[in-house]
Amino acid sequence: MTLATHERAIWLARHVLPHEPVLRAWLSRRPLAGLEIDDIVQETYAILAALDRVDHIQTPRTYMFEVAKSVVLRSLRRSRIVAFEALAEAEGLDPPSAEPSPETIAGDRQELGRIAALIAGLPAKCRQAFTLRKVHGLSQREVAQRMGISENTVEKHVGKGIGVLMNALGRGGNGRFQASRDRDVQDLIEVDHDPRKQRRH
Amino acid sequence: MTTIRESSADIDAAAAAWAARVDRGPLSDKDQAALEAWAARDPRRAGAYAKALAVSAHLDRAQGLGADFAPAAHPAAKAADRRRLLATGGMLAAASVIGAVGYGALTLRGRVTTGKGDIRRAPLSDGSAVTLNTDTAIRAAFDGDMRRVDLLRGEALFDVAKDPARPFVVVAGDVRVRAVGTSFTVRTHADGRIGVVVREGVVEVWRGAEGKPVRLSAEHAVRVAGVGDLRPTIIGAAAVDRAMAWRQGQIDLDGLTLGQAASEFARYSDRRIVIDDPAVADLKMTGLFSASDPDGFAKAAALSLGLVATQETDGVRLSRG
Repeated sequence: MTLATHERAIWLARHVLPHEPVLRAWLSRRPLAGLEIDDIVQETYAILAALDRVDHIQTPRTYMFEVAKSVVLRSLRRSRIVAFEALAEAEGLDPPSAEPSPETIAGDRQELGRIAALIAGLPAKCRQAFTLRKVHGLSQREVAQRMGISENTVEKHVGKGIGVLMNALGRGGNGRFQASRDRDVQDLIEVDHDPRKQRRH
Repeated sequence: MTTIRESSADIDAAAAAWAARVDRGPLSDKDQAALEAWAARDPRRAGAYAKALAVSAHLDRAQGLGADFAPAAHPAAKAADRRRLLATGGMLAAASVIGAVGYGALTLRGRVTTGKGDIRRAPLSDGSAVTLNTDTAIRAAFDGDMRRVDLLRGEALFDVAKDPARPFVVVAGDVRVRAVGTSFTVRTHADGRIGVVVREGVVEVWRGAEGKPVRLSAEHAVRVAGVGDLRPTIIGAAAVDRAMAWRQGQIDLDGLTLGQAASEFARYSDRRIVIDDPAVADLKMTGLFSASDPDGFAKAAALSLGLVATQETDGVRLSRG
């Protein structure tokens, strides 16, 4: 598998990453016979990273959806139990219209605001290291000196930050269970306070 | 059914670590070889690495925030810090504790139940929250040393607030599940087995008085039969979502047979799905269905598997026609 280059990473950041939440939503609306959306998305990135060139791709978004569809079809054909319906359904998958929806392509300022909120949401040390590296543009070595910690620790903080933001950006900014939590009905109980000491037994 | 497979979340975390190393400076030959070997083993890894690099590149835009950017003073920082303090799921519950303590204490006395077809979320006094699936009963008893919840029947999701001094222990039959701050479900199956699925954090599962605890981390599950070892399996984030589809009133059939699907629907509704022919009961069906609509499910199954669904007074019959 060909590893992504820096140039390809920039292309992915600009043309693919903003559409990942829509891709996930699109995939989640279909019966995928037990295929995991996370796997499909990762394999889609792998294929896009390994392409010889991308300058011929006019509409990266449509291209991304077609790649994801090919991953779905290949996986469905490979798996042993497939409801016929799922395969037929996948064959007929139509990527959503090529127009980017307004909520997915945020303006530069909006996107900057979103990045600010995501960085702010990191744990304190990680947030500090990440800010020095990505906002102030210090190298990891300079960040280590500034914070009085080892370069390895800075690398860990940066890795943690990238990991959190990978999840947030791919899923559209919220934790993956946020929606369901927000609509939970709230009612409260107070539990018994048993005067006897209860021990694990 | 489930094979041990690296979860996509683990892959993402490893890919992020590699992107951070690249961010530090050019890789040594040794690191470069290690990265290539790692990525070569699974296309999902190469894809996650590409995305991690893309995210890292995307974040270089953060320089546009300027040197005055003070993330610690950002509202999102305060919210996140508070959330971490209370652990996942605790914040909403804690917020409602302020206004409502006392009332519930008089009426419910630690026991919470749901009827068939109901789902209910109940915050607990420690900031944890429990979500009860259909036909479920729990009893909670907290003291200074332990937070104990007995799952008397059914299935529940626990979002546990962090409190290292007081472990949170769920007791179901002779199985015990202990967590410090995490999110997991425990289910008593009709055949007496107990299933545990971990969404976030780490829990320990053991049985009986002297059982040896087995650790389960995020995206792991274990199903405990009458006897034998506790053998956890990695199920992945999507399977965790599926196992918790009931919170949205849905049933996720991932390769279940029609017979098993009929039993699942019977948990939620008195309208039965009747299948006389064992060959029909063995057919497999996949998809997401509304738990309260066995008839809709039967229709979909009939359509996709070439069967006939016959409406009857107390249910629907699936047959070859």
